[in-house]
Amino acid sequence: MANPLVDDRGLSFVLYDVLGAADLARLPHFADHGRETFDAWIDLCRRFSRDVLYPAYRPLDEDPPVLVGGAVKVHPLLREIWPRMCELGVIAASRPFEVGGQQIPATIALAANLYLMAGNCAAYGFAGLTSGAAHLVEAFGSPALRERWLAPLHEGRFAGTMALTEPQAGSSLSDVRTRATPSDDHFLLSGSKIFISGGDQDITENVVHMVLARIDGAPPGTKGVSLFLVPKLRLAEDGGFEGNDVSVPGLVHKIGWRGLPSVILALGESGDCRGWLVGEPGRGLAHMFQMMNEARIMVGANGVATASVAYLESIAYAKDRPQGRSVTDRNPLSPQVPIVEHADVRRMLLRQKAIVEGGLALVLQAALQADLAAHAPTPEKRRRAQLLLDLLTPVAKSFPAEKGFESNALAIQIHGGYGYSSEYLPETWLRDQKLNSIHEGTTGIQGMDLLGRKVMADGGGALSILGEEVASACARAARAGVDPLWIEALGRATADVGALTMELAGRGMGGDVDAMLLHSSDYLELFSTVVVAWLWLLQAAAAKEALAEARGHPDMLQGKLAAAAYWLRFELPRIGPLVATCREGEDSYARVRPEWF
Amino acid sequence: MPLKILVTAKRVEDPESKIKVKPDGTGIVTDGVNYKMNPFDEIAVEEALRLKEKHGGEVVVASIGADKSMTEIRAALAMGADRGILVKHDGPLDPFVVSAILDKLFEKEKPDLVLLGKQSIDDDQNQVGQYLAERRGLGQATFASKTESLESEAEQKKQPGVVLAADGKSLRVVREVDGGLVTVDVSLPAIVTCDLRLNKPRFASLPGIMKAKKKPVEEIVAASLGVDLAPKVAVKKLSEPPKRQGGLKVADVPELYAKLKGEAKVL
Ligand SMILES: Cc1cc2nc3c(=O)[nH]c(=O)nc-3n(C[C@H](O)[C@H](O)[C@H](O)COP(=O)(O)OP(=O)(O)OC[C@H]3O[C@@H](n4cnc5c(N)ncnc54)[C@H](O)[C@@H]3O)c2cc1C
Ligand SMILES: Cc1cc2nc3c(=O)[nH]c(=O)nc-3n(C[C@H](O)[C@H](O)[C@H](O)COP(=O)(O)OP(=O)(O)OC[C@H]3O[C@@H](n4cnc5c(N)ncnc54)[C@H](O)[C@@H]3O)c2cc1C
Repeated sequence: MANPLVDDRGLSFVLYDVLGAADLARLPHFADHGRETFDAWIDLCRRFSRDVLYPAYRPLDEDPPVLVGGAVKVHPLLREIWPRMCELGVIAASRPFEVGGQQIPATIALAANLYLMAGNCAAYGFAGLTSGAAHLVEAFGSPALRERWLAPLHEGRFAGTMALTEPQAGSSLSDVRTRATPSDDHFLLSGSKIFISGGDQDITENVVHMVLARIDGAPPGTKGVSLFLVPKLRLAEDGGFEGNDVSVPGLVHKIGWRGLPSVILALGESGDCRGWLVGEPGRGLAHMFQMMNEARIMVGANGVATASVAYLESIAYAKDRPQGRSVTDRNPLSPQVPIVEHADVRRMLLRQKAIVEGGLALVLQAALQADLAAHAPTPEKRRRAQLLLDLLTPVAKSFPAEKGFESNALAIQIHGGYGYSSEYLPETWLRDQKLNSIHEGTTGIQGMDLLGRKVMADGGGALSILGEEVASACARAARAGVDPLWIEALGRATADVGALTMELAGRGMGGDVDAMLLHSSDYLELFSTVVVAWLWLLQAAAAKEALAEARGHPDMLQGKLAAAAYWLRFELPRIGPLVATCREGEDSYARVRPEWF
Repeated sequence: MPLKILVTAKRVEDPESKIKVKPDGTGIVTDGVNYKMNPFDEIAVEEALRLKEKHGGEVVVASIGADKSMTEIRAALAMGADRGILVKHDGPLDPFVVSAILDKLFEKEKPDLVLLGKQSIDDDQNQVGQYLAERRGLGQATFASKTESLESEAEQKKQPGVVLAADGKSLRVVREVDGGLVTVDVSLPAIVTCDLRLNKPRFASLPGIMKAKKKPVEEIVAASLGVDLAPKVAVKKLSEPPKRQGGLKVADVPELYAKLKGEAKVL
């Protein structure tokens, strides 16, 4: 059987049994929906990905785009795939009815997208970027801009990009230099961008770049950055399209996501590149950041999807590959056993499972909070969800990428020498996965965001909300009859993280911000381990509930309990030494001098 | 000439699920099995939609089975069918009974054309369309297929493989038969069953799913149709096919011949 990309039963379990996502349909905003539309949409994306996207995965990896006479040519298969993917309604699925979307909850959209990402992250990437660009136009564009650009983006006639990065401005976007000079109703843009994914291709009529630039005379730093819509082709006087002085001097040769071109963009080399301001001048980064939770959760989802497809590949391989015998079997003529019979192989599979399915619950939980933050019935509930979402976002962005990379490496390991060969797919997923640690804010940046901003937000309010969620998960687990040792382990770890946070906050408030942030990456790691432990306890509780009521698939539920045990009893205690190190402020890497390397 | 088309959408086990027979042989283990529309019916729905797109008319989709079959009706509505009929029936059915129920639906709906899958992939019976034609005394064209390949330009452009005559009174159907393809003309109303190479069914869309929610589906209790619902076929026992034996190497052609003739007894 072909790789299923995502475990259908497990996904449905997390969505409905663990997170209760069917209740979203009770919110007025989602009143036109119900479990049947949720499932129909997920099923449609699943089938599309299995039938259309996944078969194109290897061809796209093998033949990356080329630059011919200044224009990018992508893999010809994308010409067939793109319109079909757009016809499904992927781009505007979660947007409101009034702008032509279908108002499906972000949680369900994400669940469906997981299949598309797992099947072919590069092909899906065009749609993800187009959704992102359209959302910016919808949220901040003038009525005229929305009128002109939104529909073709939603239909996929035009594709969208995010043109933020410049050579000197990657992590530090406040350093962008691209200039915007006022001229009539528009601005003239000049500058260059790098790594712009989907920056040019030959599958849509037009490309719409969302560009960060500084208006002439704007102050330095964040406050001087504005957001512009810059089309590849602009509307001409005669109603047709004409070039907009956007050119592609080069392509980035990438190790993953190879079907999706990432390009160098030159804006206004002939002084005739027109852009239109989106939102308020000087608020470009603020506007971008408003979409940041969404974009970062998407990256997390990609991390989960890329780890998922490799995990499922390794399960199939491990059940199929005969090698060696039981250690107690002394008969050299007995048949070899499938490697899944070896405990060490099961160790690797279980670790993958815990990472993939813990990550799955994490990104879906974050998306659920995004739905609640926007549409919960009371302002208090919305505020609570927003705080929790903000807190979970750096974790949801980085955990699937970092641990997913480990999980992808385990997929290679389980394949032995064959995993190291490019005839087998695990190595391609490893290459794809690495990007998720880099774009939309590197893992280092996520660590600083979590410790420097998110856990301190609202006077520690976000952290107490997480504490309440953990407490309610513990209560649910206790009611369901989950092993008390697991519940205690989570309680203890949560308390440890709380105390550590207070101590680090104290250092920050005492004026020593460097000392506070010294271990931000370590803090991110241990914090993520605890958050995922919370989600595993919830899964254990839901599994126990289902077993007690003789619902669900018994093997799947036992697998959930095994992975929960692994995370809560094996992985969670590992944070102890990390907590201690962060507390002691062990400072070898603060002290080490660049010249000592 | 607009066509009114009745098309079937049976709920079947997804062949991607691992199917296991219950230890007592009374059926299959349904826990953890996914369901979907019978792939041959999906082809029938697609062909119905293409005919409607070309000639106008109405596509009515029918499913017979437990309440859950509503999912398959909604799936066909999401692809573009206009309305549905769910004939509710818990318990075993066989092709004879199913054709009797469809016969009643035919009486009620008076379609110009009934499109069905040539068989359903659960029991692989390949009988319902034929029975239905016989019951109604109508012409039938089974195993409708296409002369062009599924990768052809005609297929990309969604050209129907089942072609309506200029006078609107008959259909020309290419049939897949053992030796290749035969073309038959069948007068309307007619019963057509669809084979694998007739078309590539479209995917639904999210807007389609949302529209499907609002399309009418009539629910009829099978017992109210005045049909004898007792199956004529009794399933005594299900069992797994015998496990495949490992292969073996033979030294030369004579040995192979001897084995095929003597042991496998296939020559
Ligand atoms: C395949 C691909 C696709 C991309 N697509 C797009 C796109 O579509 N649009 C777009 O605008 N950009 C895109 N990017 C760019 C991406 O967002 C940047 O690469 C990313 O933001 C990191 O910036 P950088 O590469 O300049 O690295 P740098 O910022 O130079 O970072 C290098 C290292 O230094 C660390 N570092 C940097 N600053 C700090 C700090 N203040 N404190 C601690 N550590 C720090 C980082 O964590 C990192 O480990 C893409 C990149 C890639 C690789
Ligand atoms: C680049 C490269 C160069 C190589 N060069 C050479 C060379 O020059 N000469 C040569 O002879 N070979 C060479 N090899 C082969 C290499 O030694 C084998 O790939 C390696 O021994 C693993 O065997 P395998 O690939 O069959 O994996 P398998 O043995 O099938 O292992 C698959 C997985 O199952 C696990 N596993 C297997 N058996 C057990 C067990 N009993 N208990 C627990 N876990 C088990 C493994 O740990 C692994 O994770 C090379 C391989 C590569 C990739």
